[in-house]
Amino acid sequence: MTESNFHPRVKQLLDGEITLADLPPELRREGEDALRLLAAVDRRTIEVAGVTDRVMSAVRGRTPARSLWRRLIEPREVRLRVRPWLLAPALAAAAALVLWLGRTGAPADAIAPTAVTVRFLLVAPDARSVSLAGTFNQWDASATPLVRTGAAGVWTATLTLPAGQHQYAFVVDGARWMPDPAAPAVDDGFGRRNSVLAL
Amino acid sequence: MRPGNEPDGHIVRAVLAGDRERYAELVERYRDRYARYAAQMLGSVDAAEDAVQDAFVRAFDQLAQCQDPDKFIGWFFLILRNRCFAEQRRSRSYAPLEAAGMVAAADRSDDGMETAERRRALQQALLKLTPEQREVFVLKHVEGLSYGEIAERLSTSVPSLKMRMHRAYDRLREQLREQA
Repeated sequence: MTESNFHPRVKQLLDGEITLADLPPELRREGEDALRLLAAVDRRTIEVAGVTDRVMSAVRGRTPARSLWRRLIEPREVRLRVRPWLLAPALAAAAALVLWLGRTGAPADAIAPTAVTVRFLLVAPDARSVSLAGTFNQWDASATPLVRTGAAGVWTATLTLPAGQHQYAFVVDGARWMPDPAAPAVDDGFGRRNSVLAL
Repeated sequence: MRPGNEPDGHIVRAVLAGDRERYAELVERYRDRYARYAAQMLGSVDAAEDAVQDAFVRAFDQLAQCQDPDKFIGWFFLILRNRCFAEQRRSRSYAPLEAAGMVAAADRSDDGMETAERRRALQQALLKLTPEQREVFVLKHVEGLSYGEIAERLSTSVPSLKMRMHRAYDRLREQLREQA
């Protein structure tokens, strides 16, 4: 713990788990400093009244993409594919595949499964870490790490996902977002390509 | 039931059935609250307004993909969050300067100089956090959500959120000391 770190008990105070009176006398001053920090938080609402008109001007003439959604959630085969892919000079080669491992939650002859077990795989020999971020983990780049399984730089993660459409990307070394080169991709509207998996 | 109290799910279903004008009710209901989240995340009221506007348009386009219309706002939040994180990746270099605009707006209030100065200092310090640290701080201490509510919204665990938050506390303290 460095000098600038709050004492763990003071962090409990900041979290609202204890009161200032619960702190021992030697931590009271630090606790008061911490509470002054929270007192400076600006909680006032910001009015953006013009947004409504601009949003409605933009959406008039559009139709929510129901037909596309229907098409994407129709049951279909997920094929195993491997494709070499150059990531960067630092990563000699990378490839990815999505492997259908099995279905759960529905009889074998059911038309639409409720959940599908999927194995994500990325070959990234020079990566220090690889994770998955997607609609299934709220795009949290730290939530779903892949595990390096061998010397060849193969990283894998097996997830059971609800049937339907999912978008995702690999996150290499915690910073570099890359779509799965073996899966179709869509523009996320914010300058990035997301891979699409329809189960 | 008064129109203002109609559940989000009813409105979403009406929009999907073709009554797109009703989407304005959802925008009116949530725009200001989520502009505050975006402003804290981006350090700029103007950038926040753009982000909220883009996110609502994006949400309309993808409305049929909202699997539980009764949980529209949780789904919308993730679209806005994605937009804010993308914006931060693009504009990291100038975000601290933009913060001045946000604070200038805050200073127009009746608060005293000392309060305004403390707010300015904290806002600057918040922008030095990682986006993930800043987000958990904003959701807990600006939006007033509990760790459990944040964990549910972000599909993560309370212990990992606490770890992120506690690092944020230390970083804020360090930044505020440097500014002093």
